[in-house]
Amino acid sequence: MTGPRLEITVPHDEPVIMFRRAFNAPACLVFDAWTDPVHLRHWRGPRGFELVGCEVDLRVGGSYRFTHRAPDGTQHVFYGRYREIERPSRLVSTFAYEGAPDTEALDEVTFDEDGGITLVTGRSIFPTFQAREVFTAGGAAERGLAESHDRLDDLLATLQS
Amino acid sequence: MKAVTDELSKTFAALADPTRRAILERLRTGETTLGQLAEPFDMSLQAVALHLKVLERSGLVTRGRVAQTRPARLEAGQLGNAARWLLQYREFWEGSFERLDGYLEDLQKEEGGT
Repeated sequence: MTGPRLEITVPHDEPVIMFRRAFNAPACLVFDAWTDPVHLRHWRGPRGFELVGCEVDLRVGGSYRFTHRAPDGTQHVFYGRYREIERPSRLVSTFAYEGAPDTEALDEVTFDEDGGITLVTGRSIFPTFQAREVFTAGGAAERGLAESHDRLDDLLATLQS
Repeated sequence: MKAVTDELSKTFAALADPTRRAILERLRTGETTLGQLAEPFDMSLQAVALHLKVLERSGLVTRGRVAQTRPARLEAGQLGNAARWLLQYREFWEGSFERLDGYLEDLQKEEGGT
């Protein structure tokens, strides 16, 4: 694996997923990359997916809608509304996967710059534990994945933090 | 889907405890008896048996029967569901973030170059 490590935390006592990841760029730039469709098209989405639709109305109460096209041609839509916008340090929005509206989460993303490096912390708060678990099942169809034992380390490391 | 997600909730709750994670690590090497499992821990056999019970109820561990012992065995399937779930989340962001790294670098080069 190359580049900085993506840390993921899955607390067992609240329906939340958190991630932390550092980027080698100032917070203003990372924030803009996160919110401007001109930038978003260049990076957002899993490997092999193309962001074919990207509508952003960046104001409190404004909505966004991202359409990802999978390598198999299927389309996956994520949408939500912005709740708080504090450039370049904080962004709060709702987040849902089309087809599973009951899983709507509240997404809080903070951008902390230190010496040109920006630490991005994301926190998704789901309405229920079930919603947290359904959420990723929607985003990606079952793929041929490595034997579960190989993934245990990752799983255990995640739960320890 | 509901049955699967309920199982996942139990799995994550079971995995939340450090002793239970250590037990699972130990079971990766193969079937193990309660006595062997309890050895490295500074706790009673009963306490380890309780942790094993939680793991059993979550579907992560099954117990066989060999003579007078009931060796515990890791159930990869249930762990696989939890691992797969996590991997899908990780893949979404890792793919994105690797591209974002490159993109941010390009943007800064452009700025620096003008």
